Amino acid sequence: MKDKIEQALKHSKADYTEIRLEEREATQVAFRGKDLETTSASIDQGGIVRCLSRKHGWGVTTFNNLDDLLSKVDQAYQCALVAQSEEPIELAEANPVQDHVTVKLERDFRDISMAEKKALAEKHNQIMRGYSEKIIDTRSMYADSFSRIILATSEGSYLEVERPSVAVVNIAIAREGDNVQTAYKTKAGPFGFEFVQDEEKIAKEAARRAVELLSAQSVKGGQYTVVANPELAGVFIHEAFGHMSESDFIYENPKAREMMVPGRRFGSEILNVYDDGTIPGLRGSQRYDDEGTPAQRVELIKDGILVGRMHSRETAAKMGEKATGNARAINYRHPPIVRMTNTAIAAGSTSFEDMIKDIKLGIYACDAYGGNTALENFSFSSGYAYMIRDGKIAEMVKDVILAGNLFSTMMNIDAIGDDFEWIYSAGGCGKGNQSPLPVAFGSPHIRIQKVVIGGE
Amino acid sequence: MDILKQLKTLAEQVEVASLRTESTTVEFEANKLKTSKVEATSGLAVRVIREGKLGFAASSDERALDKLSANVLESAAYGDPVPLDFPAPQPPPQVITYDDKITDLSIPKLVEMGQAILSHILEVEPEVRVNISLERGISEITVRNHTGAEAFVKRSPLSISMQVDRIEGDDIVILFEMTGTTVWEADFMALARQIGEKLRLARRLTNIKSGKMPVLFSPSGALVLGLPLMLGINGKNVYTGISPLRDKMSQQLFDKKISLVDDATLDGRYGSAPYDDEGMPHQRNVVIDKGQLNLFLYDLKTAALGGAKSTGNGGRSLFSPPEPAPSNLILEAGDTPLKDMLAGIEHGLLVEDVLGLGQGNIISGAFSNPLSLAYKIEKGEIVGRVKNASIAGNVYELLKEVSAVSQEQQWVYNNFNLPYILLPAMNVVAQEVG
Repeated sequence: MKDKIEQALKHSKADYTEIRLEEREATQVAFRGKDLETTSASIDQGGIVRCLSRKHGWGVTTFNNLDDLLSKVDQAYQCALVAQSEEPIELAEANPVQDHVTVKLERDFRDISMAEKKALAEKHNQIMRGYSEKIIDTRSMYADSFSRIILATSEGSYLEVERPSVAVVNIAIAREGDNVQTAYKTKAGPFGFEFVQDEEKIAKEAARRAVELLSAQSVKGGQYTVVANPELAGVFIHEAFGHMSESDFIYENPKAREMMVPGRRFGSEILNVYDDGTIPGLRGSQRYDDEGTPAQRVELIKDGILVGRMHSRETAAKMGEKATGNARAINYRHPPIVRMTNTAIAAGSTSFEDMIKDIKLGIYACDAYGGNTALENFSFSSGYAYMIRDGKIAEMVKDVILAGNLFSTMMNIDAIGDDFEWIYSAGGCGKGNQSPLPVAFGSPHIRIQKVVIGGE
Repeated sequence: MDILKQLKTLAEQVEVASLRTESTTVEFEANKLKTSKVEATSGLAVRVIREGKLGFAASSDERALDKLSANVLESAAYGDPVPLDFPAPQPPPQVITYDDKITDLSIPKLVEMGQAILSHILEVEPEVRVNISLERGISEITVRNHTGAEAFVKRSPLSISMQVDRIEGDDIVILFEMTGTTVWEADFMALARQIGEKLRLARRLTNIKSGKMPVLFSPSGALVLGLPLMLGINGKNVYTGISPLRDKMSQQLFDKKISLVDDATLDGRYGSAPYDDEGMPHQRNVVIDKGQLNLFLYDLKTAALGGAKSTGNGGRSLFSPPEPAPSNLILEAGDTPLKDMLAGIEHGLLVEDVLGLGQGNIISGAFSNPLSLAYKIEKGEIVGRVKNASIAGNVYELLKEVSAVSQEQQWVYNNFNLPYILLPAMNVVAQEVG
């Protein structure tokens, strides 16, 4: 294969050519309610060629049939000639890399029988179903995948990389009359089967939470002091702030550039935010991104001040900065775009007790059920939440949806906890039709003043 | 080797779905034509029933047939019994889903269309950032099974989507529009004119006070009400018991002005086809008839489990087994002209788009969303855009009383055809300034 790839690269008339081939084997077992919904195995093999004509733009072809790389390169080059960029497109300098990244899995899931995978998902499912008669529906899924990727560029990079992923997802749905509540708990990471074994506690937690939510009252809409748990704070920093630090959002948009100008104060001095693709064992980690740039730690906010942003080689060149290893693609059907890896709010110094002790009336919002942003406006639903009354966690409430303006909300973060954790949840990030990309987020508890909570 | 023949000797029932797509896309980013793309995908998905148990496997490597066979048999070995029958050959309805005028669109022609759209938007509002994607393609699916049935569907989808960002200081407006068809529509500029009109209306900012007021949902805004319903009528959510509609068949649940139809037999629409993805002929499904619940949407498996019949709503992608999925969802037009609806509003809100559409526990019918594009209506006139406000409610309560449904309808997000819907009193929460 290597010869065929190098021959195709040599054949290309483009200023820059990139070939990425992928072979992915995946299995999945899913229970829904009392039924086994799927046991499936898939084989996905394909490739992408990306050509750049500096004076024109990008041309891309994706395909399943790997026989004729030469004609795919020609086709991508023809596509590139159609584009009409006003200024020549440059790529930030890169040192060509040659590497072979293999992974060693403790219990390689490719050697584990479907029977054992099914037994695991079934056990989780039974725990949820057996928890209470009020649990009327469940989803318990086990999924693994192993990708082998070859990335080769006309600048001389040649990488062979292995990317494993294993995940369990538990969703419990409880009902009482017309009141239906959902809770979920997941665990995922770039590991072998051992990572998800003996994790029945997450099934129990999903079931317990769904049942508890049945007796929760809807939150009363209004403005509150909110304490967010690490998972919600992590999702918030990823969705609301992180996406605006992806330079493809900024680089061709003068107004966004003004908004995200380095040196702008984003929060008080206690706020530090970074993206780091180098931390072993996290879902967003990778030795190299999908342009061959080594992963690194990118400081985004330092002592409350905006200090950095994430780049692909193209956005870096355009903004006169260096590539940061954030050009990522979910698979061979897509070109890389600027994406986060593992994004976090760094630990602060406030204990959880100190954080809530002076709150007369507030909300302790936990986990995220979904989030959405439109530039500076965001909306997140928390998975579950409690009222804080007179400095103490009080009754559970449901339908807690946080909405607001990013800038004022970040400025209103006035306490950061000393209890930092990384979240190993499944799912991932969606952007530009590429979803789900494995990412991780981390944070301690944080306290935010004046958050608007929707509600009737 | 034919995998269907081979597996027939090893299992009672076999289904082989062969999927193939080719598409060409041009993408404008930040007002410039940045990328063009040619994509080809192909693959096989196989289901078997062996000893009464269902198995599934798929592959995009069409040469890996031995592995595919082994995978599907292993899957069936651990599968659950499902009383499912793959359908015998049946005649399909006549539906047009293919047009040479679309498949013949060259890259330069797509570029020209994109440029026309871009120029129109920039004429209205020179200081905006526009992303446009135009994609045309051919998609083919053949579903064959052990009975000799062979359902072939060939479509020529054309999809145009655009996003316009306008940033002025800390004020941001983001508009998104998307349209899809399978037969050529000469007036591809309609969407651009519409987005231009929205930009014009969005220029003037105004404030609104929290409270109960009449709320008018535009066709794109009406998705806020439509998405929870879409989940509620899905046979799978009925079978699993999470749909609030599960035990409400034949009941009068909504205002008489509400009728909901799933219809894949309309010529040229994005979700149309003669057969569904399991080889079942498509039909017009009246789901809600003048406020009365009439039908749920089923695929073969969910129908078999739930003791119902497939409604021709099996939808699939290569690597996922079929699931119940709506085709084209149509909320039937009413008898009030839009201008009369507007004229009757003394003080209210027009909702075009919300943030976090479909987010939260919407299966229960409940939604709560900040407004991303909404206008205040005073004395029958649109007086300006409203920022920092949100709406919340439950569609199963709200749709019991509907003031009016418009004569006008519009296709939004490819598969939905929706009218304007006026609700008499909804809670609107506005953020306190500061």
